[in-house]
Amino acid sequence: MASVKFVPITVPPLPLDYNAPSTSSALVQRTLIPVGPAHFNHLRLAVHHNHSFDTFDKHIEEEQKRQAEIDAAKDAGLEDDLGVGDEAEPDDLLSLDPKEWKKQDQYAVLGLSHLRHLATPEQIKVAHRKKVLKHHPDKKASKPGHNSSTTAMLIGLHQNTNDDAFFKCISKAYDVLTNPEKRRQFDSVDPEFLEVEDDIPTAQEFKNLNFIKTFTPIFERWARFSKKQPVPSLGKLDAPKDEVEGFYNFWYNFDSWRSFEWLDKEVNEGSDSRDDKRYTEKKNKSERARRKKEDTAKLRGLVDLALGLDPRIKRIKQEEKEARERKKKGSVSGTATPKKTKEEEEAEKQRKLEEEKKKEEEEKVAKADAKKAKAAAANAAKKARRAARAVEDDS
Amino acid sequence: MPPKSTPKPTTNGVATPPVQNEEIKEETTSIPPVVGINFGNSYASIAVFTKEGLAECIANEDGERQIACAIAFHGEETYIGNPAKHHLVKNAKNTIIGFRNLLGKKFSEISQSEPTTSAPVIQHPDIPDEPAYKVQVLQPAPSPLPASAIPSHLATPAASHAPTPRSEPVPAERILSVSDVTTLFIKSLIQSAADFLGKKIQGTVITVPSWFSDTQRRALEKAATNAGVEVLQLLDEAGAAAGVTSASSWTNSSQADRTQLLVDVGASSVSLSLLSIREGLAYSLASSSTPGVGGDQIDDKIIKFFATEFTKKTKTPLTIPAADPQDKRADAKLRLAIEHTKRTISASPGAATCSVESLKDGIDFTGTINRMRFDLVAKPVYNAVAAAVTDLLALATVDAHHVDEVVYVGGTTCLPGLDEQILVACGFKEDVSTPFAAGTVVGGGIGDPTTILARGCAIQAALLSTLGDDNQLREAFEHGPAALNNVAATSKTIGLLFPDPTEEELGGTWLPVVLKETPVPARRTIRFDVQLKESTKKVAFEVWEATESFHLEKPPKLERTDDDDDDDEEEEEDEVKVDTVEKNTLLGVGEFVSTLGIQIKGKSKDAGKWIATVEAQVIVGVDGALVVSVKEIGDNGAGVTVKVPAAS
Repeated sequence: MASVKFVPITVPPLPLDYNAPSTSSALVQRTLIPVGPAHFNHLRLAVHHNHSFDTFDKHIEEEQKRQAEIDAAKDAGLEDDLGVGDEAEPDDLLSLDPKEWKKQDQYAVLGLSHLRHLATPEQIKVAHRKKVLKHHPDKKASKPGHNSSTTAMLIGLHQNTNDDAFFKCISKAYDVLTNPEKRRQFDSVDPEFLEVEDDIPTAQEFKNLNFIKTFTPIFERWARFSKKQPVPSLGKLDAPKDEVEGFYNFWYNFDSWRSFEWLDKEVNEGSDSRDDKRYTEKKNKSERARRKKEDTAKLRGLVDLALGLDPRIKRIKQEEKEARERKKKGSVSGTATPKKTKEEEEAEKQRKLEEEKKKEEEEKVAKADAKKAKAAAANAAKKARRAARAVEDDS
Repeated sequence: MPPKSTPKPTTNGVATPPVQNEEIKEETTSIPPVVGINFGNSYASIAVFTKEGLAECIANEDGERQIACAIAFHGEETYIGNPAKHHLVKNAKNTIIGFRNLLGKKFSEISQSEPTTSAPVIQHPDIPDEPAYKVQVLQPAPSPLPASAIPSHLATPAASHAPTPRSEPVPAERILSVSDVTTLFIKSLIQSAADFLGKKIQGTVITVPSWFSDTQRRALEKAATNAGVEVLQLLDEAGAAAGVTSASSWTNSSQADRTQLLVDVGASSVSLSLLSIREGLAYSLASSSTPGVGGDQIDDKIIKFFATEFTKKTKTPLTIPAADPQDKRADAKLRLAIEHTKRTISASPGAATCSVESLKDGIDFTGTINRMRFDLVAKPVYNAVAAAVTDLLALATVDAHHVDEVVYVGGTTCLPGLDEQILVACGFKEDVSTPFAAGTVVGGGIGDPTTILARGCAIQAALLSTLGDDNQLREAFEHGPAALNNVAATSKTIGLLFPDPTEEELGGTWLPVVLKETPVPARRTIRFDVQLKESTKKVAFEVWEATESFHLEKPPKLERTDDDDDDDEEEEEDEVKVDTVEKNTLLGVGEFVSTLGIQIKGKSKDAGKWIATVEAQVIVGVDGALVVSVKEIGDNGAGVTVKVPAAS
């Protein structure tokens, strides 16, 4: 325990003007040059944060986080991707033979199988660029074993000699898809569409299916071939009469750009024979025509089927009938029976027929009269000519 | 062509499935097309923000980065920029130069005393008290008469007494106000930038001299708006330079707090600014403008030199300044030619040539000048600039020794001789940073004096355009700059003193943290190692206000070898300035016991010593109050905070 010693001193009271040591020098007034990011931070401090650094730090942190996110997105190359994205490249795609380029799925090769015929030219360009960056032979040379799975290695698909095969496929696919005519031809026989093309239920199969649910996707698939866009869709079950009629009108007058040049047999390159060439061309032409006809028939059949199965048509007919009846009930003061109306109808028909007959007969008579008159006129002319000649001979 | 999805709303919907193409989000990091314009009285330059995120000065379609502020009319053609300057020789009456300084001025305010070689300023015929230029142009021919109403097959028309309409262009007079001329010129600059970027320019930041009045600034803004571009900001020339030098890409940016001297040598005046740059915040400590000193003066002297040379060589008299028209033409020709000579002198140490075809009486002239001769000829101008610098430093009561950096602006400052003269004559410390020392002048580096202003404007324009939707901030920037830009700044350096009896002068190790002339609120954080005594592990410090100064010291005499007897005159030893610090006021004391100190292991000479890494943060509030916190780095580090209230 420390001993306490008393000191005979009384400390004078704290003077009123006493202050703890403070910053002695006064601040000086200056005018900032309004330039640079630091100046904005200074303004932010003043405007938003009441000159306090605590909240300001938070703000800056958030800002940096946001910036970092944007930068990260940029680094990931998402900035101008246009929704092309990255598709998986299964081995069977990578081992495509460029010689068989006509059979390859051009969209899958460019990694556009999720867009297919909807891909815009810009998207195709982006996709091509991406693929080229990945598969260019120069790039592969520097990365041995890149992109080749063990199985593929085992069956010898990715030997160095064959390394540019897929690149060739890419170039071919790009050629096809950037040329509007070629792209149209390919889209006509798009393998994905062909797969589902015949996937139409027959009338028997349809019995326990929902009409709208079944046919909407089918018509949507076919809609791509229309020259006129947009294509009216099947619509809902309670669609009004105009809509339904408009729909079937459109589909019965469907104007399709689909054609089948893509499936043409190649003219035999080896032979110089003109006949051979012409023969092949002729065959191709007839084949194209046949397919086109088939295609039109198929679509027609589809629309017929839909029309036949459409519950809305039945409903509309029913409604019309009811409307008619209601009308009639309103006009024929209550007592008119359906039988009577039938009789009336028949009478009407009879009358019409008679009228037509009459008309026909009249026409016949008129025709005969005209014939007679014509003949008479001709005779008269003949006579006149003869007389004139005689006069000439005399003179 | 396959159908493209063109979703148009129809009553019945559309059969095409929705496109998976996501809307691309607007990027905030991408910089909208903006341009920075350095609009001088004699030359202008433009800079844009490139894809690489750098501000770069770009060339116009003539390949010129330094675009002469000149417009010439000849026949139906209008020449803008450097081609227009050549018209000063033959077509001077239709060539307009020096129009920027007249912007926003009244006709009565413009002195008419100086003789001009270019188109004279006249009173606008329609608008009272408005300066304008009158030029002769050719108007395109009026369109041919409309085809006669009489059908042509009736007959050839009878000979008419009316004169045949002219098919040639008609000479006409065109009156252009100063504002019209500026609009024309800015339009051409904007067009060049738009062509370079391939986009329409959305905004611009333009330099103005600091002496421009509000009327003049408004006139410039209006002229630019008429040229079809939005003015984001009018920036003082010093500000534009500070935009580059305070940026993080600047060569000397590791030193966040520094005093910078801006030397802007224009064609006809020298502007100097002493800036205090504190972590990117810049303000002017003092500035001055010296008219009558500048590039034109150097031109005059060099022209005189070459004229004498010409007379000597060919015995053809050529007197400069010229009196008769022939000599005047020769003067104009030489003036154009030495532009090239000056550039060569700046760029390479060898001799530079000056060639003029048919300088006078059909005699061609080719002369050479080397750097030494050039500097000798231009020496008076160099001295005038150096004197202006000395005056400015005296005005600001800042010693040249405390200037950390010299930055040059303007083509004339590319001359290495000028740099040497300024450094030697004004007594800057030897390691002062200049663009020449950093090697950023040659090759269009970041310190390139000819492009620095335009780049500064481009940086600022990009910054303004990426400000985002902080409307409050934008408002504050646009409308309340005066109030918000008037800041308080510290007048003395605040630092930490770590007691150490071996230091005699201060009694400790001095660590300056917040330098004087720092705008408040300010925050500085430094990190350093502290040695600890093993027994106590105590860290203590004092917070002081201090004044920096220097004293003169004789450098230690170098041992001279005795064999060079020929030049044994005693050279006067220059005294060297040595930094000193004087403690003024003790503001507070703090101490704590380190908990995270570690012993250095290994075989280095410091092995066995105890070390702790500490971070010191000093926050100066708007009122000048201090919060000093020193703490160890790491979890559960010890630390102490000292608060000092503001002076009442």
